[in-house]
Amino acid sequence: MSNIRDANLHSDEEDDDDFGEEEEDPRPEKRQKRAPSDDEEEEEEDDDEDAPKPSGRDKSRNKSNGANDDDEIEDLEDEDDDEDEDEDEDEDDEGPRRRRGQRRAHNPFLDTMAEVDEDDEVDDEEDDEMEADFIAPGDDDDNLRHRAGDDRLHRQLDRQNQADFAEDLEKVAADIRDRHGGRRGHRLGDASTVTPKRLLLPSVNDPSIWGVKCKPGKEKEAVFTIMKKVQDMKGTRNALNIISVLERGQSMQGFIYVEARRQADVLNALTNIPNVYARSGMILVPVDEMPDLLRVQKKAEITPGTFVRFKRGKYQGDLAQVVDVEQSGQILNIRAVPRIDYGARDDGTDPTGKRKRSVGAVRPPQRLFSEAEARKYHERDLTSTRRGIFNFQGDTYEGGYLVKDVRVTALQLENVNPKLEEVTKFASTGDGNESLDLQALSQSLKASTDKYAPYQPGDMVEVYLGEQAGMVGKVTRVRADIVSMNVQEGPLRGKDIDVPFKGLRKRFKEGDHVKVMGGSRYRDEVGMVVKIVDDRVTFLSDLSMGEITVFSRDLREASDSGGMGTAAGKYDLWDLIQLNATTVACVIKIDRESLKVLDQDGATRTILPSQVAAKIPPRRKDAVATDRNGSDIRIEDTVKEIAGGENRSGVIHHLYRGFAFIHSKELQGETGGIFVARTNNLATMIAKGGRIASSGPDLSKMPEMMKKPGGNMAPPIIPRQGGRDRILGQTVHVRQGPYKGLLGIVKDATDTTARIELHSKNKTITIDKMKLGFKEGSTGRILSYAEFVQPKKGFGGSSGGGGSTSYSSGGSSAGGSSWSGSRTPAGASAWSGSRTPAGAHGNSGGGARTPAWAGGAGGDGGRTPAWASGSKTPAYGANDGSRTSDPYRDGSRTSNPYRDGSRTSDPYRGENDGSRTSYGQTVGASGGRTPAWNPGNRTPHYGSSESGPRDSSTAWDSGSKTPARSLSNINDQWNDSYGNNSSTTARTPAGYNATSPEFSGGYTAATPGASGLSAPTPGGLSAPTPPVSAPTPRANAWDAPTPREPVTAATPGASGGETRRYYDAPTPQGGGYSTAKTPGAWGNDDEDDAPGYN
Amino acid sequence: MSSANPDYKWRPVPTNHFRYLRACMVCAVVLTLDEFTRKGCPNCHPVLDYTTGSDLAQMCTSPIYEGCISIDKPTESWIAKWLRLDKYVPGVYATKVVGDLPEDAMDYLNAENIEYIPRDGSENNLE
Repeated sequence: MSNIRDANLHSDEEDDDDFGEEEEDPRPEKRQKRAPSDDEEEEEEDDDEDAPKPSGRDKSRNKSNGANDDDEIEDLEDEDDDEDEDEDEDEDDEGPRRRRGQRRAHNPFLDTMAEVDEDDEVDDEEDDEMEADFIAPGDDDDNLRHRAGDDRLHRQLDRQNQADFAEDLEKVAADIRDRHGGRRGHRLGDASTVTPKRLLLPSVNDPSIWGVKCKPGKEKEAVFTIMKKVQDMKGTRNALNIISVLERGQSMQGFIYVEARRQADVLNALTNIPNVYARSGMILVPVDEMPDLLRVQKKAEITPGTFVRFKRGKYQGDLAQVVDVEQSGQILNIRAVPRIDYGARDDGTDPTGKRKRSVGAVRPPQRLFSEAEARKYHERDLTSTRRGIFNFQGDTYEGGYLVKDVRVTALQLENVNPKLEEVTKFASTGDGNESLDLQALSQSLKASTDKYAPYQPGDMVEVYLGEQAGMVGKVTRVRADIVSMNVQEGPLRGKDIDVPFKGLRKRFKEGDHVKVMGGSRYRDEVGMVVKIVDDRVTFLSDLSMGEITVFSRDLREASDSGGMGTAAGKYDLWDLIQLNATTVACVIKIDRESLKVLDQDGATRTILPSQVAAKIPPRRKDAVATDRNGSDIRIEDTVKEIAGGENRSGVIHHLYRGFAFIHSKELQGETGGIFVARTNNLATMIAKGGRIASSGPDLSKMPEMMKKPGGNMAPPIIPRQGGRDRILGQTVHVRQGPYKGLLGIVKDATDTTARIELHSKNKTITIDKMKLGFKEGSTGRILSYAEFVQPKKGFGGSSGGGGSTSYSSGGSSAGGSSWSGSRTPAGASAWSGSRTPAGAHGNSGGGARTPAWAGGAGGDGGRTPAWASGSKTPAYGANDGSRTSDPYRDGSRTSNPYRDGSRTSDPYRGENDGSRTSYGQTVGASGGRTPAWNPGNRTPHYGSSESGPRDSSTAWDSGSKTPARSLSNINDQWNDSYGNNSSTTARTPAGYNATSPEFSGGYTAATPGASGLSAPTPGGLSAPTPPVSAPTPRANAWDAPTPREPVTAATPGASGGETRRYYDAPTPQGGGYSTAKTPGAWGNDDEDDAPGYN
Repeated sequence: MSSANPDYKWRPVPTNHFRYLRACMVCAVVLTLDEFTRKGCPNCHPVLDYTTGSDLAQMCTSPIYEGCISIDKPTESWIAKWLRLDKYVPGVYATKVVGDLPEDAMDYLNAENIEYIPRDGSENNLE
């Protein structure tokens, strides 16, 4: 009987297998036939889904049949009950299984037949044949003979029915066999039964799929483990009800998916499965996403002709072409251009094998195999099997190429991006035919992801793959590798569709003007399309007039103004290019493939773009050179040749070292109006932007004069006193730092520091000498160290000392702060740098000094007290007064005349510097400094070096700006009057001062004598004075006092005294200065401002 | 019916034998090469006989495959239906098998009027 069931099963299966779509026909019939025996079953078997029961179950039952059947049956029944209970939960779904359960309920019936069943073990193949035997009529007769009652009759009837049924089945089976021409049914897809996928889309009736987290990398293991568990549990009462387990390790790492009807089943199945985290939640995969879960992307197919790259080894990175695909794609037979070092001696391949060629050895170049060379060096390694095929040192060479079997894993198959020049090496086959397989190449290229976007909005594209093949449209948007295009032709015209790159190619028409864009050797070629075959476009190059074939993907429609060749692509007219290390040239003409240039020597030459070493990017517009007069000239200035030339004039296009490339409008002709001149043969005619091009006295000789003093620009050193340091034993004030304000006695001293025993605290501190204030015995004034140390030279001397102090304080004690305040980063170095301080000075000159002042407030002996007093005390008011009257301004005003003079006198720049310098003096107030600083004055001369002047000038500019700004912030009153003048004013005195120390020779005194200092001082001093006299009246303050001062108050002492008294600032110079620097005070008032314009 | 061997019993594969696993290019069943050669492919067996000692097993199975599915109830499973594995024996299958079926194997299939469903993902591209 079980056989019958088997047969039954089989037929069911066969129905499934073989009838395929015509399933419906045989079934009803079959069911009818089965009816008599399966009376109960019938009702249950409403479900058409006759799933063949897993064979495992059948088998287990079959095996047990022979032995004590009853027990077995009971067992089974129990089990069935269990299952039934389970299934009660969702009966609807469980149709098939229920039927199975019902069938089992009939087991007793089957039992009676079981005795016959000796050939259960016989292979299923034979089952069909067997059936005929054991349902033989004889068998029936025997049974009839033993019949002895109703019971028996009934049974007999049943059996009869069974037999009939079996016969029918046999018939059905035979039918099937007939129909299929004796072919054995198998489960492989039959041509007629392959259903299109769209009919297979999941429905709600299909089992659900749950995604479960899993340890990444362990997905496969989990799947196998679950499968094992399913199998182990099969037939037990805990059988797992999951249907399948899926893993997509590559695309969905960290997840496995379980197909089941109920979530509980999933949980049940996954408990105790290692690496699967079912409890952390599972995700039900939506029905519509289920196909996506199983989506399989075919990778770029490796077909002969495709290009690949070696991943490692000697040929790493080399392009290779697939000749053959072996072992179902796991081994590729490739050919590559060999790299053989024929000259390598045998030691490379020593018989001992020990010494391998070092990895770092130079890689032999790619070259086709040369029989001659191989024979020459290693004849014994060379064997030839056939013509043109050689074995050499273990490798095979065919037609010059290395031919080799390589594992796929050693090759890079994606993103190969073969370059055309690489590919061309493969172009010739052994027979010399050009066989560049563009098709294959395009395959390789297509698979590669592009560095540049191959499609850009506006491109005309054509779809050539997929449902939408043939669509032509304009790209509207590109996202990743999806192109949105607006269809331009056909029924879908006007619609927007999305197409992946893959099925897309650019569309050109014959006659289109195109330009080669990327990845091709012909990059930048421009030409006209003459032929299009698939995605290969042949165009006639505008440059070479030759035909070039490239992939359409590399082309873009060129603008109509095409025709600019490679040369044009890179260089523009009047570009400055570097020809070699010492020669630059200006492009004066661009031909298709050449450039005409004018080099720095004035020679015109024609060069190929390839001869251009580099293009010199346009300098910043503020590149500066110095003209013959020492004034700076910049790009776009109009200049004139004044020496050695032909009096040409023009606008500067480039400045390079000492050369200027000038474009003259008058001078056309072969150079296109460009000529080259040395900058020192030029004179400025019009400075761009209205910079004042002065033609005053030539200051270019100043450096000589300035050199005299010190040669180098090291900051002046306060001369050391021989012997015992004068400050020892002095009672001093600490003027700066944490101990500020404390008194102490100098116990010990070095060059720069002093050890002070404080009066107040029982403590000895080491402190910079510059931070000390020394009480002058006679006056009680507080002197700075420098002042104190300077040998006395009368009043002037002291004032001079003041000057130096201020410097040193500026330089060392006030240090970075004050200077950095005024924007020069490092005090001392800045000084020596000369350029920067200049800037700073220029800046401060305009009133920016003030902030510097403020910043350095503590630093300067002269200043600080002034400042302190100013800010703290009534002096402040005085300061205010001074501010209003603005000594500076006064000074500057005063110097108005000077300014004029200066302007006339000199190139602007020199003057500037001068002014700066002088400020340096005033600000730094160092007598010594000033001169020292004067060398700084040279800077402008240096100035011919590009950056220096530039900086300074900017500094200047800002300087000029700043004051105005600061002023407006500070004092409305002064806004108008001052704002305008500020810069000039600032400058002017500077100018004056600058020169004056110079000329006065003040500098010669290393410690600038009174005179040296006095010169600058007046400026400063004079300023304060007026406030004293006439604090309010502006006009007064301006004009009257100041001019007088500089002139008269050569002895600042007096004025200093005045000032001092006035301000009742204890330090004379300091006082003087501070007054001058009253602005400092306001810098202080307005501290935000100070940094602001610094 | 002999081919889709109902007696076929899936055998667990120890983790360290995973590397011997190959997938049949015709039915995508994943087995070790050893199993293929000793018992043949449980689904394709008589049509493609891997047990003959020829290299057919090598040629028609591929070690490069993606996505394992263990299918316990092929007829119920939508996944099996979708991947057209629903007529096959329960076991572990691959979603994608990389490799090309050799010509002669193709001939065997054609002779049996079986449509070969490529398992390398190219099927999707056809639609």
